[in-house]
Amino acid sequence: MADTEQREGSILQFAPFQSAVDEGFWHKLSSLKLNKLGIDDSPIPITGFYAPCSHSKVSNHLTLLAESLPSESGEQSSTAHGNRNRCAIPGILYNTNTIESFHTLDRTSLLKEEAKKIWEDIHSGKAIEDSSVLSRFLLISFADLKKWTFHYWFAFPALVLDPPATLVDLRPASQWFSSEEAESVSAACNAWRNSSSTADVPFFFIDIDPNSHATIRHLKDWVTCQGDNHKLLFGFYDPCHLPNNPGWPLRNFLALICSRWDLTSVQFLCYRENRGFADIGSSLVGEAVIAVPQGWKDRQFIPNAVGWELNRGKLNRGKMVPRCISLAKSMDPNRLAESAA
Amino acid sequence: MVLSQKIHEAFKGTVERITGPRTVSAFKEKGVLSVSEFIIAGDNLVSKCPTWSWESGEPSKRKPYLPPEKQYLITRNVPCLRRAASVEEEYEAAGGEVLLDNEDNDGWLATHGKPKEGKSTEEENLPSMENLEISKNNTVKLTPSYFGGEDEEDIPDMADFEESDNIIETDPATLQSTYLVAQEPEDDNILRTRTYDVSITYDKYYQTPRVWLTGYDESRMLLQPELVLEDVSQDHARKTVTIEDHPHLPGKHASVHPCRHGAVMKKIIDVLMSRGVEPEVDKYLFLFLKFVASVIPTIEYDYTMDFDLGSSSH
Repeated sequence: MADTEQREGSILQFAPFQSAVDEGFWHKLSSLKLNKLGIDDSPIPITGFYAPCSHSKVSNHLTLLAESLPSESGEQSSTAHGNRNRCAIPGILYNTNTIESFHTLDRTSLLKEEAKKIWEDIHSGKAIEDSSVLSRFLLISFADLKKWTFHYWFAFPALVLDPPATLVDLRPASQWFSSEEAESVSAACNAWRNSSSTADVPFFFIDIDPNSHATIRHLKDWVTCQGDNHKLLFGFYDPCHLPNNPGWPLRNFLALICSRWDLTSVQFLCYRENRGFADIGSSLVGEAVIAVPQGWKDRQFIPNAVGWELNRGKLNRGKMVPRCISLAKSMDPNRLAESAA
Repeated sequence: MVLSQKIHEAFKGTVERITGPRTVSAFKEKGVLSVSEFIIAGDNLVSKCPTWSWESGEPSKRKPYLPPEKQYLITRNVPCLRRAASVEEEYEAAGGEVLLDNEDNDGWLATHGKPKEGKSTEEENLPSMENLEISKNNTVKLTPSYFGGEDEEDIPDMADFEESDNIIETDPATLQSTYLVAQEPEDDNILRTRTYDVSITYDKYYQTPRVWLTGYDESRMLLQPELVLEDVSQDHARKTVTIEDHPHLPGKHASVHPCRHGAVMKKIIDVLMSRGVEPEVDKYLFLFLKFVASVIPTIEYDYTMDFDLGSSSH
């Protein structure tokens, strides 16, 4: 890990988000395509789910389930609100009718388009009311229903800070907080995660009073909490497990922080859990310095965005190529008949 | 699916349709759960181990005797760092006892009754990462990526479409070398891991919970159910762990067959009672998951609880 360790003054590097698609999603997409959409290939709003990292050895993923797609009757599937293991994130699906149109999709402009939505939500203040829009994602796919094969590619658009943020400090939260603070922060985070009204709110801030008492607050209360000697840290559900890097959602969060509140030095908590409870040992506290990039005050200006997912499959390790999954075994009636015989 | 299994499934389905769900508690007498006891035990699991949650699943597959929002329990993205088969080999090679003792023809309980209980001690007993030989990792890496579709000749070579605008690679703020598990990445021998979604359904016929496994390979692509058997204690693979249709999810999934769950749970409960511990029905799933851990020893799902099973000295 030594070579990727972040040192003081280095560029803050974020671990990319990773996708995971439940088999149920493809089954639902197939039936939606056959029974409702037909050749209509207009973009479909979908919902992805994620949760803070809950194991020291694996990162969490942005997961798509059958419930991610709208139901065939038209209304958006009702997803259980307040499920702590499923923070809902809005996304959009471009499902093409042919493999050719899948490959000729203009990925650069699609990514830009989603980044623009994030940018506008930051400037309109919507991202402060409903912070899940900061992690908005994009999925392109081609469902080959004759072969039960699905080609797809995720993007997690991130607004690029130019120049990039630099890291002043990053260490386990247990080393950053005093023991009283750590205890109070853990308790406050657990309470936030256990309340059905806040369990799936992935961005927040922590307010620690001079008596080391911590409170978790909604982003909309940021302005009223300034002054009076409190320690304030921005916090987010970090899907990443790495000890030296924050996860992807921090990128757009920093973009929000520097364009809304003009902060140049930001302290943040990468909130992680162990067995479903706040884990101050694996959570990180960092401090980053941001130079507000040129043009960021101007709403018309749209920053560059990155975020197409690398294919980490065995044959494609780390390449910029789409993924492909074959579900013939569970969808092809001939194969099903064979295996049942 | 073998014919006898199919006939049994048909029989079981018919019985399930014509009999009502269990309403009278027989938890201590038979080791089984009524529907309402399953809900109580599930609620307790979710509150003590918050990585578990209730799911409502596909509306068309909902069981009318369960509340719509509490159809089954699931915990996702559970790491499985080693293949159960290779752990057993090493354990034996190290001169340790074989995990299962079939002398009394009752391997399941024997496994459970072994003194090496408790998550942390178990982890200590398991060989450390460094001891894992590369050859063993290779068997993992080279497993056919069946679901990946790479064996389908019709699929165009993705490399042909490799994009020239590798925007992400020119972004200095993107961490380049992250793997699903990069605990200590050293040269090429990067440890990457399988993960599992573990779900628990209520089996109305056997009146017990039933565990299902959905596996994902190191790049988080669906794992062929047959490969899941590598993560099952070899004494159980294909015998007590079978591949069947999940009652709430599409596709085939590996499942610990519940035919003996009641009997095993009854024995565990008897042992507890003989030690003067009064078992409570809301703790059923903790006992159950602890027992299931003997079947899938390397899948690190959460079932911890400050709850004494009784000491190992009888």
